[in-house]
Amino acid sequence: MITLREVKKNYQAGETIVKALRGVSLDVDQGEFLSIAGPSGSGKTTLLNLIGCIDKADSGVIKIDKEDVDKLDKNELALFRRRKLGFVFQTFNLIPVLTAKENVAFALHLLNLSKNEIEERTMSLLKEVGLEGMEDRLPSRLSGGQQQRVAIARALVKKPAIVLADEPTANLDSDTGRAILELMEEMNKKHTTTFIFSTHDQMVMEFAHRLVQLHDGQITKDERRN
Amino acid sequence: MRFLISLAWKNLSRYRKRTIITASAIAVGIGIYIFFDAWLLGAELDSERNLIWYETSSIRIMDSQYWEEQERLPLDRVVENPEVVIKMVEEMNIPAVPRIRFGGEVIFYKDPYEQDGGVPVQFIAIDPERDDRVFPMKQTLESGKYLKSGKMEIMIGSWFAEDIGAEVGYPLTIVTRTRDGFFQTIDVEIAGIINCPNPMINNGTIFIPMDVANNYLQMEGGVTEMDMSLPLQADVEKTAQHIEERLEEKGINNLVAKTWKDLAQDYLAIAVQKRAGSNIMLLLVFIIAAVGVSNTMLMAIYERVRELGMMRALGMKDSQIRIAFILEAGGIGFIGSVAGTIFGSLIVYLFSTLGIDYSWIFKNMNVGYRLTGVMYTVWNPEVVITAFIVGIVISMLIAYIPTRRALKMQITDCLRNE
Repeated sequence: MITLREVKKNYQAGETIVKALRGVSLDVDQGEFLSIAGPSGSGKTTLLNLIGCIDKADSGVIKIDKEDVDKLDKNELALFRRRKLGFVFQTFNLIPVLTAKENVAFALHLLNLSKNEIEERTMSLLKEVGLEGMEDRLPSRLSGGQQQRVAIARALVKKPAIVLADEPTANLDSDTGRAILELMEEMNKKHTTTFIFSTHDQMVMEFAHRLVQLHDGQITKDERRN
Repeated sequence: MRFLISLAWKNLSRYRKRTIITASAIAVGIGIYIFFDAWLLGAELDSERNLIWYETSSIRIMDSQYWEEQERLPLDRVVENPEVVIKMVEEMNIPAVPRIRFGGEVIFYKDPYEQDGGVPVQFIAIDPERDDRVFPMKQTLESGKYLKSGKMEIMIGSWFAEDIGAEVGYPLTIVTRTRDGFFQTIDVEIAGIINCPNPMINNGTIFIPMDVANNYLQMEGGVTEMDMSLPLQADVEKTAQHIEERLEEKGINNLVAKTWKDLAQDYLAIAVQKRAGSNIMLLLVFIIAAVGVSNTMLMAIYERVRELGMMRALGMKDSQIRIAFILEAGGIGFIGSVAGTIFGSLIVYLFSTLGIDYSWIFKNMNVGYRLTGVMYTVWNPEVVITAFIVGIVISMLIAYIPTRRALKMQITDCLRNE
């Protein structure tokens, strides 16, 4: 499903060149629940961004669903992300002027679905993430955990092949974080959606079915668990 | 598209304070623009009317030599047989009257005046029985009575009367030259004081009966001009050309028909300059409003860079994001334009009935406009519609630049933005 071969990415930080990824190769199958772990600066967010097609690699190959994403232009990438990828951000990134329901529906509006289908899928997902009755609340009237649930619903509502979550629990207390991870795991099982999330939190790593450890831009460990 | 409109609308209502402040800047700009234009238009229309009604008439026929030397008001360049011409013009259903324009000085002495003095002025000899067919001077009579043929009387403007301390019944001596260039003095009495809305008339023009002037200036029936009245909207150029053709048909080749635009070139030049100056001022008002809007939009877009990054990550195309932000700015422009149009229109309505009293300026200073007192604004629907549309379009254009700049950022940089 996802194939990375010898992927390299450098950043310019002032006059210094930071080697964020130094030839990473990775294969991820459909339905995996994978955590990319590592200390700060290890390259996990960079890796996630490259898989999420919001950044471009300097060299190497990235194939998602057999599509060589490096060869897609800006608009094609936008359409690719729209159809295949869902995002959950550390800071939730909900649109503050839209209600929970509207935030979830946002992803479906981009797919030009009918009004009825948008309504049906949105309400169903909000129910699944436990936000029934809160659909008309603005993000400012939701707790951090509830906001992250909305973000998960927004990521899943368009039935993407992959959901990418960058430190999804970093802004939440441990109980809420655990609940969010349980929800993600549940959604992974139910929808067979591939979940890839970055973390440096031990508790989060324990949830992962596969743990990829990064250090200084290189994979140091790739462990599958049952 | 409906979704983008709905998103833009929600952002407008959510960031209410910003919307109100930005829309207010647009509203003030548009309101000032509408008011200023209506004020200028009112001044221009009133000036033109006062110029035509009291100073130049619509068309003036005169000797071609007189036209060339009119600055020195030559009495030896006259129309000898004015009644033939007047009859011809009246056959065209155009009212026409003869006049003699000449220069000279009025002399006044202490008692009844406060002191002795003399002032150079322009005199106009009119036929009291028919001059009001073209010039509504009679209606401006403030005190005393209108001129009568055969009487050694004159009529003066109220500002001039005030300046020299004259009242109805006071004597004055006119010192001038006859048609042949000899000095002539005429003792007259002030019969009436007019309060003419044209400052050029009110400040230094003296009216005298035609027969008196004819006699004292030895004009032998000749006049310096024949003035014609046409409706204000009439095509004066075409009519003047037509009159000249008719004169030529009659074998009268020494006369020219000049429109008020030919006669008031000084005024028109000033009016064009004033319009240009005012347009620069209005442009500045618009620039100030535009800078305000641009600054707010810039802040609004930059504070939402992360939101913008999220939208792009979710697969929204740059063009869609651009449209969403431009629609939002267009919404602010629309609110500002509606408020500005209402605000501007209300002021225009207020001053179109109340007017603005500028007599203290016009009395002491020649500002070019033929106005003496109250100026009224004139509603100009074309400008209102233009200002309304420009308000919206400028807001949208202004939003385009910061949106474009924000969209040039990498999505990852947008998402990291604090």
